[in-house]
Amino acid sequence: MGMVVSGEEAYKLLKMMKQGDLPIHDVLSDFNSSFPPSHRFSLCTSLFLILQDKLVLTGTERLVALSVIHQSHASQPINANPFLRFLISIAGDDNAEKFERAFILQLLELSDSSSIKEFLKQSATDYIKSFDPSLHVLPQVEELRQKYLNTAHSETFKCFFKDNAVKNVLADPDVPLGCDVNSSEFDLQPGGKAKLGSGERDETVVGMLANLSLEGLGPQWIRPRPPRLPIQDGELVWLIPDNNHELLWDHGMCADTSRGAAVRDLIAKAAKGPLVPAQQEKVMMELANDPKLVYHCGLTPLKLADLVENNPLIAVEVLTKLINSPEIAEYFTVLVTMEMSLHSMEVVNRLTQAVKLPSEFLRLYISNCIASCENIKDKYMQNRLVRLVCVFLQSLIRNNHIDVKEILIEVQAFCINFSRIREAAGLFRLLKTMEG
Amino acid sequence: MESAARELSTASTAAVMQNPAAAEDGSGFDVSVTSAMAKEALARFQSRKYGECLELLYQLLQKKEDDPKVLHNIAIAEFFRDDCSDPKKLLEALEKVKKKSDQLTRSSLEQTETASISGTKDEFGVSVATLNTAVILFHLHEYGKALSLLEPLYNNIEPLDETVALHICLLILDAALACPDAKISADVLIYLEKAFGFSQSDSGNIALQQSANLVENSSAVSNSTLINDSSNLESSLVASSENPLSRTLSEETLDYETMLSALDIGGQDASRTTQRLPSSNDSSISAMGKSVSSVDFKVKFQLYKVQFLLLTGNLKGAKREVKGTMNAVRGRDSSTALLLKAQLEYARGNFRKAMKLLMALGNRTEAGISSLFFNNLGCVYQQMRKYHSSSVLFARALSSFSSFRKEKPLKLSSFSQDKSLYTIYNCGLQHLASGKPILAAQCIQKAHPIFFNRPIFWFRLAECCIMAWQKGIISMGDTSDRSALKLYVIGKGKWRRIAARNGLRDRYHEPAQENELYPAGDGHLKLSLEFARVCLLNSLHLLNRSGSSSSEDSGLPPEPDIDGLESTGSNIRILTGEDNRSPAVGLGQVTANGDVKEQKLLGTCQEITNYSLSMYEDTLKRKMRALRQAILTNQAYVELELENPMDALSHALSLLQLPNCSKVHTYLGHVYAAEALCLLNRVDEAAAHLSVYLVGGKEVELPYSEEDFEQWQTAKVFDSEDINVGHSTTSNFSLEDAWILQILKPEEARATLYVNLAVKSALEGEYELALELITRALAGLPTSREATLTAVYINLMMGRAQEALSKLKQLTNVRFLPYSFTVHGSTSS
Repeated sequence: MGMVVSGEEAYKLLKMMKQGDLPIHDVLSDFNSSFPPSHRFSLCTSLFLILQDKLVLTGTERLVALSVIHQSHASQPINANPFLRFLISIAGDDNAEKFERAFILQLLELSDSSSIKEFLKQSATDYIKSFDPSLHVLPQVEELRQKYLNTAHSETFKCFFKDNAVKNVLADPDVPLGCDVNSSEFDLQPGGKAKLGSGERDETVVGMLANLSLEGLGPQWIRPRPPRLPIQDGELVWLIPDNNHELLWDHGMCADTSRGAAVRDLIAKAAKGPLVPAQQEKVMMELANDPKLVYHCGLTPLKLADLVENNPLIAVEVLTKLINSPEIAEYFTVLVTMEMSLHSMEVVNRLTQAVKLPSEFLRLYISNCIASCENIKDKYMQNRLVRLVCVFLQSLIRNNHIDVKEILIEVQAFCINFSRIREAAGLFRLLKTMEG
Repeated sequence: MESAARELSTASTAAVMQNPAAAEDGSGFDVSVTSAMAKEALARFQSRKYGECLELLYQLLQKKEDDPKVLHNIAIAEFFRDDCSDPKKLLEALEKVKKKSDQLTRSSLEQTETASISGTKDEFGVSVATLNTAVILFHLHEYGKALSLLEPLYNNIEPLDETVALHICLLILDAALACPDAKISADVLIYLEKAFGFSQSDSGNIALQQSANLVENSSAVSNSTLINDSSNLESSLVASSENPLSRTLSEETLDYETMLSALDIGGQDASRTTQRLPSSNDSSISAMGKSVSSVDFKVKFQLYKVQFLLLTGNLKGAKREVKGTMNAVRGRDSSTALLLKAQLEYARGNFRKAMKLLMALGNRTEAGISSLFFNNLGCVYQQMRKYHSSSVLFARALSSFSSFRKEKPLKLSSFSQDKSLYTIYNCGLQHLASGKPILAAQCIQKAHPIFFNRPIFWFRLAECCIMAWQKGIISMGDTSDRSALKLYVIGKGKWRRIAARNGLRDRYHEPAQENELYPAGDGHLKLSLEFARVCLLNSLHLLNRSGSSSSEDSGLPPEPDIDGLESTGSNIRILTGEDNRSPAVGLGQVTANGDVKEQKLLGTCQEITNYSLSMYEDTLKRKMRALRQAILTNQAYVELELENPMDALSHALSLLQLPNCSKVHTYLGHVYAAEALCLLNRVDEAAAHLSVYLVGGKEVELPYSEEDFEQWQTAKVFDSEDINVGHSTTSNFSLEDAWILQILKPEEARATLYVNLAVKSALEGEYELALELITRALAGLPTSREATLTAVYINLMMGRAQEALSKLKQLTNVRFLPYSFTVHGSTSS
């Protein structure tokens, strides 16, 4: 395909085909010795293409060319020859010369190489001279296909684009207008002078051999190129100096951790029971001295409920300092789910004053408070808890720690439910004034 | 040396002995000795006496075998002792430290199951070792890796020592900006703002001055005042514990009447209490103040913000921030500020202004700056389409960078300062833009270590291959000019023939491994279409992986996370106060062209950051969409060139299925799909793709208009004031650009459709229709070889040989060549 027949090769090829008087076998040997095996296929392809133009080659030249094509794959069985289909199509072509058809038929019928060799000992000229059409039966193309290709149909894989091509060499005779192109008048006679419209066949044959292309001249589909992606914003790298980052010494090496240990012990105690003021003071002081100590003081969310019940002030202090901790949500979850108590409310109330609590948490906490009030069976205890919750809510609302709108419906219902209690009525009035 | 160390250790022991109080703490004598030795080692380290420092550390190691922190400090000190020459070795040593520490943590957890997790974890904490690993990676330009190490640290930053935390924040910010990861940058900026209490300085000088004062004041809070504060707190606590509420708290019985009133009082006192309670912020500032001067830090923070705003394309915000920064740095070294200001003008398309600013920098002689200067100036020239100048400038930047590598003694920053790979990538883009695919590929390929995980990197490599292929550089076939059709005139007179040699169709595609033009092994890439195919695949894969590919095409904003109370997810600030992820709704209406109408966009840092982030994400989505279309288009094209119609078809169909696919790409998708289908002999389906543009059987509408080129335009929003000033050079998309980028003009695209429809009709034997179509095609593409050859073919098939020949001879872009040859001197007759 990509291999191109050079002009020199084409010229050599033409010279061989012109040896119609030599035994064909000699010409074939000449062909094999002149061209390396790798070139032979493209030469055969060129011959195949030029043979399709019935006017260019002479009868003897055609026979030589056909022999070359037939013998190009002589070492393999005949159906391995890629040109077999082409040979059959000529052999079965009613418009082709009879001697040409018979010649191909004889070649195809001879199976062993020695008899082929014998057959090709004659020259092309002799073959045509001694040809007697009456001795030959010329079968139809279907019959031949059946015989050699095991199929009667001409169906082959057809490529929509490629198989419709026409030859890429067009006749463009340069003769005066109105003249018969095929007139031998225009052939250059040996020794004769060139005149207008005359030309030489050999030059054309060589040129065609070198330029005929298997792909031929087909209609040309346009395949647009994909547009290039323009340089993106910021794709060209703009450089600025780096900030320097130095390696750090680990100051934790052999550090004194005794004070941390003391606080850890105290926190553990605080979860079990109230600390005495001096102990409480020590915890507060250590926590204040080292803002990071809170993360290492051993308080886990699990212990928080106990700490809240036993030492609410320490709980407030610890939670305040843990407010930026990634685990703060877990602590809040404990606060919400633990049993409602004065201490828990005290802790939440103080927290709202110290830090900004997430409103989701506050809403949930309030809901739990309300639910606890409703669930208490003991009337006395219920009254106490309701009053406590009311004051707690008033405090939240007055200090804008919670958006009233978010809890309005729930709290109003709560107030109405417990309207017999003075604080609940007060809270209700507060809500009303906020609404207005 | 050894004796000195012995002396030292005895000295330190003596120091401990003189202070017996220290020894009383903890488990006894040993602790205080090691603790004192550790202090000594630190002192030696700080005075850069690494040898002496190491002597002490080795002794410590004998006392505390396998102690990760001792091992860590040894690794650090050894690195400095060896003049920072072997960062890889340090990385390995740090890796060992981390492993050792993990081991200890595990065994200690097994011993004390009840012990608090966070408490024990820190004892063998690896945060410093991890941070240092990230520092090294940062200097080696491995920003992605550094970021992935830092993220877990950052997500759990609160318990860490303030100094370490600050270093983590700054490093993660730099790494995120370099990656770039706008989301993390935004997160850290907001966190820094909150934790270190910088107020927004949007209205320029005055506000900045005020906030600087504020910072100075707050950083001037010395230890003593801090203690005062805390003692205030203490006394207030003690006081509060004396008030009735607390007393009732410690009692079992609920004296709730008093408690109720206490609650009330507490409520009313809330604001006062809030003021008095020192938040952790105060102490943070003081810790920060210890290490950096506050004004320096303020400027640094502002520079970070400018970088972030530039990254996200919030140029308005960047402009305001730059103004403030320039005022703040007045009279100090401000290369970074100046470079950022230049970058701002560059990003706004004010190339002259950017150049002027860079020139002001040009006076500086430091090697570090000059290479950046040349590189950036190269970028400016590139954008101004002055390709030659830009290539010269990039080359100068590179030679300037090469001097770093020779610098002795090495510093840690010597590694990071060499940013030559970035410049080399710029160089590659420059070569690609000026049509030199081989050089471009060589440059771009070198940037592999820094860009290998970016889709655009692989896409550019593919573009190099495709361009080289189109230019005939990497095909083994006919390498001469393929754009011209060659007509060989063979013979004379009645025997004259004309042979049409169509280089484009004749060429033979050599398999890549046989391509000897760029043999592998010498470090050069072997460019081939097969390689382009691999690159495009890589690019698409990375694009898909970079996430949000699903949201890329939906115009909807991403779903907001639901903040559940029970959420213990990785998002670090779910329940810590204000919701910092609130979108920038109501921050000023965005007009149709994406501009922010509201000039006074003076929200908090958080609002602006979030606004910028959403702006960035929109841009990113747009960019990803464009890249995806480009990848699929090129994939279809490459497969067609490789004669692989099945794959070409599937790529073309995927392209057509993209939502919001541009009209230009849709057109190409149809044309490629149609060709692939024809190659597969599925002509009817092919016809369906072509007839999309068919009106009434023979008329083809324009498949797109010039407005559809907007995607190739770099959309920029300019301040109206600047346009009046006249400095801005808006990048209007010209037809010249369309030509450079190989975009077919709408009329050409239509004519192409006519040609292909004619081809299809001709091949189906409908020659009359084909002739009509090809006549229309030739009206639009009179010089097209394909159109002409198709016309020749149609005429031939209709038996009109004369018309065919005359069409062939009318081709303008054609070379008539006399066919002649000689055989060893003899002629051919």
